[in-house]
Amino acid sequence: MKLLLGIGEPLIGRLLTYDALGMRFREVRLRRDPKCPLCGTSPTITDLAIHRNGAGGACDVSETDGHREGVGAGVAPKAGG
Amino acid sequence: MKTLKDMLGEARLIIPEEGPAEVAKRLAGGEKVVVIDVRDPDEFRDGHLEAATNISRGFLEFRIGTAVNDPSTPVVLYCQTGLRSMLAAKALKDLGYSTVINLQGGYQKWVQSGMPTVRDVAMTQDQIQRYSRHFLLPQVGDKGQRKLLRAKVLLIGAGGLGSPTAFYLAAAGVGTLGLMDGDTVDITNLQRQILHTTADVGKPKVESATRTLKALNPDVNIIALPTRITVDNVMDIIKDYDLVVDGSDNFETRYLVNDACFLAGKTNVHGSIFQFEGMATVFAPNQGPCYRCLYPTPPPAGLVPS
Repeated sequence: MKLLLGIGEPLIGRLLTYDALGMRFREVRLRRDPKCPLCGTSPTITDLAIHRNGAGGACDVSETDGHREGVGAGVAPKAGG
Repeated sequence: MKTLKDMLGEARLIIPEEGPAEVAKRLAGGEKVVVIDVRDPDEFRDGHLEAATNISRGFLEFRIGTAVNDPSTPVVLYCQTGLRSMLAAKALKDLGYSTVINLQGGYQKWVQSGMPTVRDVAMTQDQIQRYSRHFLLPQVGDKGQRKLLRAKVLLIGAGGLGSPTAFYLAAAGVGTLGLMDGDTVDITNLQRQILHTTADVGKPKVESATRTLKALNPDVNIIALPTRITVDNVMDIIKDYDLVVDGSDNFETRYLVNDACFLAGKTNVHGSIFQFEGMATVFAPNQGPCYRCLYPTPPPAGLVPS
């Protein structure tokens, strides 16, 4: 709603996490990763070709060590929706 | 006696003009600028620049103070062809506004250059009542409600996250909601996927969602997409929307949506959960990180459930 209306401060560059059992919210500052294969300074993903070989092909991206920013902030990836 | 030609000539000496492309660039730039449409209200209603406030030429000196309270704020004026607004611009300069620009060629040239315009349809009595709580909010108001009614949002997934999102966007009057989900309703969904009912078990999720949302708000145009998002359809589908909301339920889709949105310049509102934990963020291309900045590759298959 904020994005559509152009008001307030949407969560660009911020990750809001919610622990429903503990009733706690946590905010983590996020930064663009210059080494990001998609939006970094030397992107290796410039089209959707890697998604064509099943399982998203996302594993074939690079030899980086995985979940840098997210895990570093203690936030495990989630896919549920 | 001065002629009109003389007056326009005098104005042109002190008022700079910018063409549609330059003004568009100025508006996209992010710096504060106020756009005033000096045509009559009926001309404005038939189509105007989205950023514009309408103050017709006759009321300009009386109402400009409310629209622009800082005389150093750049003001762009336009009318139909750029003549009325040229004279209006000189009047503003005389009042003490330091940076006044005339849109060269006016609204006519703007349209001819293929620039975007919007058209406000008068709100019905029903809408005025329905959205009355929005009109009370200074950050929303009539102008905000019109933005919502013109907006197009694509929801990937009409399940656990898609359900409340769809409900609240529809209730708020978002004009077009695309709902993409290839699944049918299962009884195990009903513990949390509140868009669907017991009677919908077995039916495509987008079908039950459409019925429920239209019942809540008939203003909303629902585009039901009863398919999964794939590498072959994603770019074609997202191009028509202002915003994408990713409430999908597997990593493959999340990476696909992330990549597609970045490549297409679409902002991606991301929400995901696992058991009692949730997270939300917004991936806005070139303004902030993307999903891969957080998680460059998905977790090994089977380690984190979808």
